[in-house]
Amino acid sequence: MINFDSAAPVKLKGVGDGFWITLDPSHSEDVLKSEIDKVFRNLKHLAINASVVLDVGGAKGHDDLIESLKSFLMTTFEVAKVSTPPEKRSIPTERIRQRDLSKGWNHHRSDVLMLRGIVRSGQKIESRKHIVIMGDVNPGSEICAGGDVIVLGKLAGKVHAGFPNTETAIVFALEFRPTLVRIGETAASGIDEEAGIKPEYASVENSAIIVKDYMKANPFRKMPWPEAI
Amino acid sequence: MEGKVIVVTSGKGGVGKTTATASIGAALALEGKRVAIVDMDIGLRNLDVVMGLENRIVFNIVDVVLGKCKISQAAIRDRRIENLFLIPASQSDNKDVLSPAGVERVANDLRKEFDYVIMDSPAGIERGFQNAIVGANEAIVICTPDVSSVRDADRVIGILYSRSLTPKLVVNRIEPSRVERGEMLSYEDVLEVLSIELLGLVPMDEHVLISSNTGTPLVLQNDSKAGHAFRRIARRLNGEADLPIEIPSHRSSMWKKISKTFGFK
Repeated sequence: MINFDSAAPVKLKGVGDGFWITLDPSHSEDVLKSEIDKVFRNLKHLAINASVVLDVGGAKGHDDLIESLKSFLMTTFEVAKVSTPPEKRSIPTERIRQRDLSKGWNHHRSDVLMLRGIVRSGQKIESRKHIVIMGDVNPGSEICAGGDVIVLGKLAGKVHAGFPNTETAIVFALEFRPTLVRIGETAASGIDEEAGIKPEYASVENSAIIVKDYMKANPFRKMPWPEAI
Repeated sequence: MEGKVIVVTSGKGGVGKTTATASIGAALALEGKRVAIVDMDIGLRNLDVVMGLENRIVFNIVDVVLGKCKISQAAIRDRRIENLFLIPASQSDNKDVLSPAGVERVANDLRKEFDYVIMDSPAGIERGFQNAIVGANEAIVICTPDVSSVRDADRVIGILYSRSLTPKLVVNRIEPSRVERGEMLSYEDVLEVLSIELLGLVPMDEHVLISSNTGTPLVLQNDSKAGHAFRRIARRLNGEADLPIEIPSHRSSMWKKISKTFGFK
């Protein structure tokens, strides 16, 4: 097993036409200089006119250190160019772009239990996955999902999304009339106000279950790319 | 050709299973079919009272299933309607004396002798109900337009589907004036939740109480609205699937005739 705590303060790697130096900026400048001196002495004439990248591993606020090492390298070993690594995009954006380009959902194994038909009184549907019901969920029935619950019809039974404790799950229905909604560990009893037939969804906000008009407050509009779940 | 075994069930008690069994059975017999109505509510028999045949009981369905008598000995012939027979339940036993296998065997025997065998199931979804549906080819679910009855009917429909029976629905005790005032679920509301094939709509009718207490079949009373509805249900069961379903209404019959001419069913 690699022990990251006692990693060498300076690591050298050959890249393309030059060298990549990974520094541990927690060490003092003198230590780093002597270490660099040590490895570059072994390189002998190879260091001359090479281009060098100084990588402090993403740590900020070491511009002085880098400047000082840069002049040290140029004067002592006659390297041609000293630069810092190119800035990377944030990891999630990078990942989504890659996924979007590679159409990752083509290879995604679905985590959805999808059912067609009426769920009748006395029936209980349980899954650790997301549940999608194409049909009605009648009063007296129960749905219990590890993820989201989507009902393409009337939802009038008991529903538990995000079982046992996923508070980020949602419950969506084209007609939202459940007798009891639970999301993770938060519960709310039936909504008896007659709001008309419209698509609504429930989610947890400030440890309370809030039901919103899906067409007005679509929670997924904020997501820039389609993402497989 | 073998006959059909039709079970009449509801889940909830007191919605009119027994009345429906007696009426549909009698109406099918009036259509000229050979009909047996079987009371499967062991321990709480009622069908014989509703049919007015209580004092002619010698043997009952338990005796038939246990092999103590023949079907012909237990079947009581109705003297008013030709080809109508009643096999009563036992009042002294409880529901556990019957085994599903025994009931199924008797149902198969009955199928050979009658065109229609109508079984009156007990309320609930326990042993007695399981026994009643085990030999059935078809099922009729009776439901009244109230929330608890719809809930129970929904449960029963689920169980029937799981036994490969496709139930048909009869909505009983509709009070058109109360539906219009919004005090009662309409049959559309019931149908929307249950979403199965509708067999008929039966209006609330005071003749039902009178006929049950006097033991005269409802369908023999010409002025009974419920009796009329059950006769139409029987015709629909008996192959006239296109017979339009009459929607109970408290409007005058004149208005009904006008609506019919304009094509409103």
